[in-house]
Amino acid sequence: MKTANRLKYFFRKPHNIILVLLFVSLAFLTLVPLFSLIRDTFIVHPSEIMSVRGAKINDVTLFHWKKVLLDGTKSFKLFYEPLWNTLKVSLFSSIIAIFLGGSFAWLVTRTDMAFKPFISVVFIFPYIMPSWTLAMAWLNFFRNKLIGGAPGLFTALTGIETANWFAYGIFPTSVVLGLHYAPFAYILIGGILRNMDANLEEAALILKASRAKIIARINLPIIMPAILSTFLLVFSSTMSAFAVPAFLGTPVRFQVLTTQLYRTLNGLNPGYGYIMAVVMIVIGLLILAVNQWYLGKRKSFVTVTGKSSNISFIKLKKMRPVISGAALFIVAAIAILPLLTFVVESFILAPGNYSFSNLTTQFWVGLGREDIGGGEPGILLNKSVYIAFWNSLKLSAVVALVVGTVGGLAGYAIVRGRGKKLSAIVNNLAFFPYLLPSMAFGAIYLSMFAKPIGFFPSLYGTFFLLVLIGSVKYLPFASRAGINAMLQLSGEIEEAAIIMGIPWRKRITRILFPIQKSSFLSGYLLPFISCMRELALFVLLITPANRVITTLLFQYNEKGWNQWANGINLLIIIAVLSINLLINKLTGASIDKGIGS
Amino acid sequence: MPQIVLRNITKTFGKTDAVHDLDLVIEDGDFVTLLGPSGCGKTTTLRMIAGLETPTQGTISIDGKTVFSSDSGIDITPDKRDVGFLFQNYALWPHMTVEQNIGFGLENLKWSKDKIAQRVKELLTMLKIDGYQKRYPAELSGGQQQRVAIARTLATGPRVLLMDEPLSNLDAKLRTEMRAELKRLHKETGATFVYVTHDQLEAMTLSSKVCLLKDGLLQQYEPPMDVYHEPANIFVADFVGSPTMNFIDARAQNINLDQVKLEAEGLRMIFTPVSGSISLQNDQAVVLGVRPENILVADSSPLSSKVYSTLPSGMETILKLEVGTLVLTAVVFGSVDYQIDSMVKIGFSGNHCALFDKSSGEKLATGSVQLMQG
Repeated sequence: MKTANRLKYFFRKPHNIILVLLFVSLAFLTLVPLFSLIRDTFIVHPSEIMSVRGAKINDVTLFHWKKVLLDGTKSFKLFYEPLWNTLKVSLFSSIIAIFLGGSFAWLVTRTDMAFKPFISVVFIFPYIMPSWTLAMAWLNFFRNKLIGGAPGLFTALTGIETANWFAYGIFPTSVVLGLHYAPFAYILIGGILRNMDANLEEAALILKASRAKIIARINLPIIMPAILSTFLLVFSSTMSAFAVPAFLGTPVRFQVLTTQLYRTLNGLNPGYGYIMAVVMIVIGLLILAVNQWYLGKRKSFVTVTGKSSNISFIKLKKMRPVISGAALFIVAAIAILPLLTFVVESFILAPGNYSFSNLTTQFWVGLGREDIGGGEPGILLNKSVYIAFWNSLKLSAVVALVVGTVGGLAGYAIVRGRGKKLSAIVNNLAFFPYLLPSMAFGAIYLSMFAKPIGFFPSLYGTFFLLVLIGSVKYLPFASRAGINAMLQLSGEIEEAAIIMGIPWRKRITRILFPIQKSSFLSGYLLPFISCMRELALFVLLITPANRVITTLLFQYNEKGWNQWANGINLLIIIAVLSINLLINKLTGASIDKGIGS
Repeated sequence: MPQIVLRNITKTFGKTDAVHDLDLVIEDGDFVTLLGPSGCGKTTTLRMIAGLETPTQGTISIDGKTVFSSDSGIDITPDKRDVGFLFQNYALWPHMTVEQNIGFGLENLKWSKDKIAQRVKELLTMLKIDGYQKRYPAELSGGQQQRVAIARTLATGPRVLLMDEPLSNLDAKLRTEMRAELKRLHKETGATFVYVTHDQLEAMTLSSKVCLLKDGLLQQYEPPMDVYHEPANIFVADFVGSPTMNFIDARAQNINLDQVKLEAEGLRMIFTPVSGSISLQNDQAVVLGVRPENILVADSSPLSSKVYSTLPSGMETILKLEVGTLVLTAVVFGSVDYQIDSMVKIGFSGNHCALFDKSSGEKLATGSVQLMQG
């Protein structure tokens, strides 16, 4: 009787119902796949019958683990070298991202640098654009004769042949990933700096500390935990990046874990790929553990609260034009110049020839020509482009709708149930997909939903599977946004409505949501944008029937149809940027609200 | 010796003037409060003296040295102005211990470790926070944080101390205690204090001179008692004093140069200026200001009124009284109480009643008021 009563009280609170529902579904959608993945590393898959001697399908075997970890030089080529490359790329790109993003954050929040509104908007662009945007731009500029085609703009303009190490491999991969995630660091560190009381710096200034000393002794120690968190988040994001190393590494056989994963899963040894996925997840979990440990270890002073009302900007004085100019140049180089190269490249008939006579509209509005791309019509007349684009929009909209709503409710339930174990577990489960590298996540869903489980039919090749994986993968963004929105609301606001007998649904839709509209809406916006430009997550699950625009672009690129790839990328960017801008203007939602936690 | 001079200081934010054409001379050793409602420009003024904010126009000099001049383009940075600054939220560095916080400024002056340790100890004792040197700010109470902030500001021995509402985050009891300490500190250090507050009581009790600002404009700059008894205009009269002054709209007419007849809401009064004579237009609209303590509640008084409310605090009782349509506030000293809706007799006493021009709000004269019978 007592237990029954307790259950009754427990479920009378709406947030408990949500927590239980979330716990069950998230466990099914994230933990079960994880176990399924681990199981996959120990069994024989259909394509592996030939290599594992005398085995039948689904036999238990240690074959994959032995081959990947213990097979001398073969393991080195297959696994250890890509792993080492992954770690190097992630380290370098995180450093670049934090240095660049942190510097811009400091300049924008603390100094009188010119063009701030412009810079702070445009600096975010690389993060909104697909991750391979900068990689493609890099190739447009710096590619050399190595991959057979024509050299890029840089060589065309200067006559200097770019070196291989500069055009392909670890250097451009790290730089490009660093630039792509710099806005991420900028948003996180900028958020902390904006919330850090400027009086702390002014107090040091009045006590005759130099500018350099203030940064070293006051700013850095206080924002250090944030910097470390940013570092770890960027590190795990770059680790799971697929498109950039695929674009920039492949020409020189520079392999990282994600590209190896793609090769092995699409090849004859999916077992190898599943092991790599497990390794990536383990690294992700280690990173999270380090982050938690570090945050827990620090004393309470890490929470910097209270804004000072009076912030006067540091005067850059004589350096102002120099710094402002340099910042403007960097922003233009990473956010605007790439777009121009896409425009240029998509209008060029014979690659590498940038003369006026070589311009053509063939790739936009031309009818198919047998001698170019096997008769593929121009982008604007191309049925498969329209279908893929429509699929992308549809997928992103559905995913955004699902994720935004679930994330908002998750935020509500987690905050209301704060301090309880279930709330903490659901919070972690909702964040867990963030750590699953997209490619590995795709691999898991591929392995898990390729066959029916229980009442669940096989989902492979369905639109629903894409919605499902997108929704789970982007839930962390939306639940963060939801949690942030709820934390800013005092519980009394809802309690006032409870006392007046207003039902739960009405409290949510008429009181809580309207007050934090822009925060909650950010939980819809970020998944939409991410989904529009996602490749790695879908690339393993896509079938010709439900092709999305990004996988189409990847196919064109793999075929070497550079002009189509550039043109389509331009389309994606324009679509994503304008949707972002539109929603931002209409509702005040912005992507940085989803990230900044 | 540090004298602070502001000449024609204007600070514009966007289109509005936060401070407008301010002239202010703060003498050496003064304790000056900048007083006014929020948004009046007092904090901006303080920050401009410190160099944290750049004036749009004007000159500032400290100790005879020009630290800012819009004409000659001088703008000395805060670290070279030799001032101390106490922030409203203390701005203690959360990642440094108490002694590191206090010693930081001395470190910048390249003091030796021993000397720093000695000076820090001295300050800890002086501000009664001995024993807390190894703690982090988050581990201290608000009052202790306040003391650490003061110690940090005093460490380098600045001759000018700028304070931005330093007591506003403390509870009422601590605030009263710290007020007394600040006044002692002013005496002991002999430094020039400039103190921003919106609390008129703090300004009255602490300062040697009060500078009242409203919408960026200087209203009055005089010792507190002068501000209290001779308010320059209705705004000052209303802002200073608690409970606030009673304002009675009236029509005035000169009887002769030394006497004015007032008519208000059925009351007829004679106003006699204390010093000098005044001349008014016929039937001029005026406002009579009477402080609550100048309303005399006594059986011998001429005017009947009804008790609307009564707030006895033991030391005094604040009464709201109805006279016709007027509601007047009176203070009766001592432990007395009244029945609500009972009748009491009142009159006006003292010679600090003020007469203001209704349209400009400026003070015309101060003097005494007699009620005319009938």
